[in-house]
Amino acid sequence: MPKPTDDERDDLLAGPVPNPDDEPTAAERAHAKTFAELVDKTLSGRTPPAMTTDDRALIEVATVIRAASGNVELAQPRRRALIEDALRQAVGARAFGTSGTMTAVRGIRSLRRAWAPWSVAGASLAVAAAAVVLWLRTPPPRVIVEPTGVATLPETERSRPADAVVGPIAHERAGDAATRIDAIFADRLDGYRELRFGRTP
Amino acid sequence: MKHVIWLLAVVACSCTSRSSSSPPPAPSRADVTRTAEPSDVIDEKLMLALSQAKNLHHKAKVYTSDGNVAAAIASVREILSLHFPPNAPEAEDVRNDARALLARLLVGQDQLDEAMNVITEGLAQSQRESFFVANLYTVKGEILEARATALDVDPANKPKVVELRHAAIDAYDASNKIDKKLQDQLSGTP
Repeated sequence: MPKPTDDERDDLLAGPVPNPDDEPTAAERAHAKTFAELVDKTLSGRTPPAMTTDDRALIEVATVIRAASGNVELAQPRRRALIEDALRQAVGARAFGTSGTMTAVRGIRSLRRAWAPWSVAGASLAVAAAAVVLWLRTPPPRVIVEPTGVATLPETERSRPADAVVGPIAHERAGDAATRIDAIFADRLDGYRELRFGRTP
Repeated sequence: MKHVIWLLAVVACSCTSRSSSSPPPAPSRADVTRTAEPSDVIDEKLMLALSQAKNLHHKAKVYTSDGNVAAAIASVREILSLHFPPNAPEAEDVRNDARALLARLLVGQDQLDEAMNVITEGLAQSQRESFFVANLYTVKGEILEARATALDVDPANKPKVVELRHAAIDAYDASNKIDKKLQDQLSGTP
């Protein structure tokens, strides 16, 4: 099948859009075959060095469509180049210059591999040491007896028998309980006030 | 590796410096604080009970002066049902004093048996000797004397009267014995 000429190509691309049910013309068939060959070459890594702008645009679209459909494997050299670029960006182009090679990246990797266990071990050891030291330094709970404890309270501020307040009860005063309760209440009120509102120096 | 060594050194130095130079920590909330036993201090509950007892005694005094002995007896009985803090020694003293007054009021109403019951209950429930217990013995002697006097109208009751009067003397003696013992204790006499 003869390849379409430039005029035919221009007619095909710039001409009116045919209906979907129309029979393909010879020029269309020739153009489709040529483009199919071009796509096959591109997918097999044999992209022609020169092609028309329209074909290049269509090839790029075809490549994108094929990549979007999945199961696309890059060629080994391309894959390696992409990985090297990614690693170079990750470790920093400044350390190697833009011309860093996979060997340099491998050096960094091996350096990190050598550092990683020591870093983890060292950090773990530091945390463990700090935990042990803190545990040893934690003081045991101390029992603090408040200064107002019963043992240190003056007798006047403690609940106690009322014998010292009333003294012996005379026979003729046996029924005078009102006077005695007055004395007891007054005495305990003094102690209560001292306890609650502070002792006088 | 050098970084790890530096890290360990820093941790060790910080811990050592804290342990050697820092002053003892102030008591924190983690420390256990033991407060005073609430039953041993003069608290609001004790003061409230004493205040109520005081008012009831004065009510009884007013009723008695008005000649309303029944109301006076009722007021004094209320004192026996007041709520004091547990184990407060004042509770027993106040109740015994109320019993002594109650028994005397009952004697005045010729309710000698009821008066004796009040005294007997007080003596049985007392946990220690006190001037108030001594007063109960005193009132007990008075009740026994009143019984003897009531029986003395009939010569046939002479033996019973003598027995009651001896019992009254024993009660007064018990009262005096307690008074002397407590006075010696308070004055420090062995």
